[in-house]
Amino acid sequence: MPEIFHDRPIFSLFEVTKSIQKTLTTRYGSSFWIKAEMNKLNHYKHSGHCYPELVEKKDGKVIAQIRSHLWRADFQRINKNFLHTLKEPLKDGVKILFEARITFDPVHGMSLWILDIDPSFTLGDLEKEKQESILRLKAEGNYDRNKKLKFPLLPQRIAVISVETSKGYADFLEVIDENPWKYNFFHFLFPSILQGDKAAAAIIGQLRKIEKVKHHFDMVVIIRGGGGDIGLSCYNDYHLAKEIAEFPLPVLTGIGHATNETVSEMIAFANAITPTKLAEYLIQKFHDFSIPVQKAEETITNRSQQILSDENSKLNSEIKLFRTLTANALMKNKNVLAQLTVFIKKDTWAQIENQEFQLNQKIKQIQSFSDRFFLFQENQTYLLAEKFISRAKLFLKTQSVEIESIEKNVENMSPIKVLKRGYTLTLLNGKSIKSLNDLKENDALETVFLDGKVISSVKSIHKIKKS
Amino acid sequence: MSEKINYTQAFEELQQIVIEIEEGEISVDELSEKVKRATQLIKICKTKLTTTEEDVNQILKELEEGSAE
Repeated sequence: MPEIFHDRPIFSLFEVTKSIQKTLTTRYGSSFWIKAEMNKLNHYKHSGHCYPELVEKKDGKVIAQIRSHLWRADFQRINKNFLHTLKEPLKDGVKILFEARITFDPVHGMSLWILDIDPSFTLGDLEKEKQESILRLKAEGNYDRNKKLKFPLLPQRIAVISVETSKGYADFLEVIDENPWKYNFFHFLFPSILQGDKAAAAIIGQLRKIEKVKHHFDMVVIIRGGGGDIGLSCYNDYHLAKEIAEFPLPVLTGIGHATNETVSEMIAFANAITPTKLAEYLIQKFHDFSIPVQKAEETITNRSQQILSDENSKLNSEIKLFRTLTANALMKNKNVLAQLTVFIKKDTWAQIENQEFQLNQKIKQIQSFSDRFFLFQENQTYLLAEKFISRAKLFLKTQSVEIESIEKNVENMSPIKVLKRGYTLTLLNGKSIKSLNDLKENDALETVFLDGKVISSVKSIHKIKKS
Repeated sequence: MSEKINYTQAFEELQQIVIEIEEGEISVDELSEKVKRATQLIKICKTKLTTTEEDVNQILKELEEGSAE
């Protein structure tokens, strides 16, 4: 019963909290299922109890928040379910669907008492997140970015992100360092935790470190193995996947697990199921380089020997052919020469005899011809002499008659004769006048007569008009 | 081998010589020169398979310089 103080009923704090507790217990008598985001698990290792921090967010803002508790035995059972279903322990930052009762404790206040958590809800949520990461990477054009990088012909210099003591790392090194072909790899370990909540950030940190010295490396490998399949959802982390996608060197993964392929593995340049397989992949690249080189060596050796031997036998057969041909030609020519010698000997004698005979004939002919020729020439000379003399006489006679007649003509033509016949000759300035055009009035004319000359002056000029 | 040729170029040039020699495009006159060259290239490639020139100390030094900035 409440006390009365100044006519007012008053309650002690305990009574109030007890009352709230009673009301809540009556009102929320049974448990129910709630969905919320578990910001923090707050697992206390010493007691084994957890005090998860539960929130609901809308557009990034917290719109509801409540404390909760999860007792050790329940936590262990639930965690086991999670490991089985999700391959992940119960951890911070996941969405959960849980069964709870509302409890109120006078000292500790209101809290949700978590009785059970459904791992399949969280699994679905993580899967959804993973799909969203993939879509986002695709939308940003990052999904294929690392795959499109040029892989070196010999992936020789390896930046390894792993744990020094992990079995996966040991397996990887065994394959690449002890390969029977003496292939030489250079590897440098960038140690990082590889699973759990802190893995994504740690791996990103190492990738950034490698980027600074990237010119020393051909690629990055992320190697893990032998640690079970727990805590690998970090490889679905969007930020890690983006870092891998945008890394300037090819990033290869060998994470070694039996669960679904993670986003990082999808994004990576290449993914191998185990570190050993990844190492074998690199060895194969060396084979891909080494085998053609060996083949080249063989081919070049064989082919060049072949070419030389072909050329040699070609040359030999040419020599043989040449020998045969020359021998034949020599033989043939020798025979021809011998025949010709015989023939020439024979023929020469015949020719000489023939020529001698012909020559004698010619001599005889020439003798008789020259005799006749001289006789004929003698006669001709005589006849010509006769003819010449009579012709000369006739010619002289004709010439003297002609000269006489010319003499007469010349005589008739002389100016004395002309003057005698009554003609006169008119001169101007001592020259004969050819035309009246040469004259003008008052010119002094000289008229020559047979017996003297008259000087007169021109009074007038009358030209004969031509019809 | 005075010229500086990387193994990728060496590999490609070697493949080219193999193609030429397989297709019979090489005359006897060129043969000696080509075989000599191929021998050099094979040596470069084989050396690359079995050696690296990376230096751990150099990488450590560069990492330290990087983090000091």
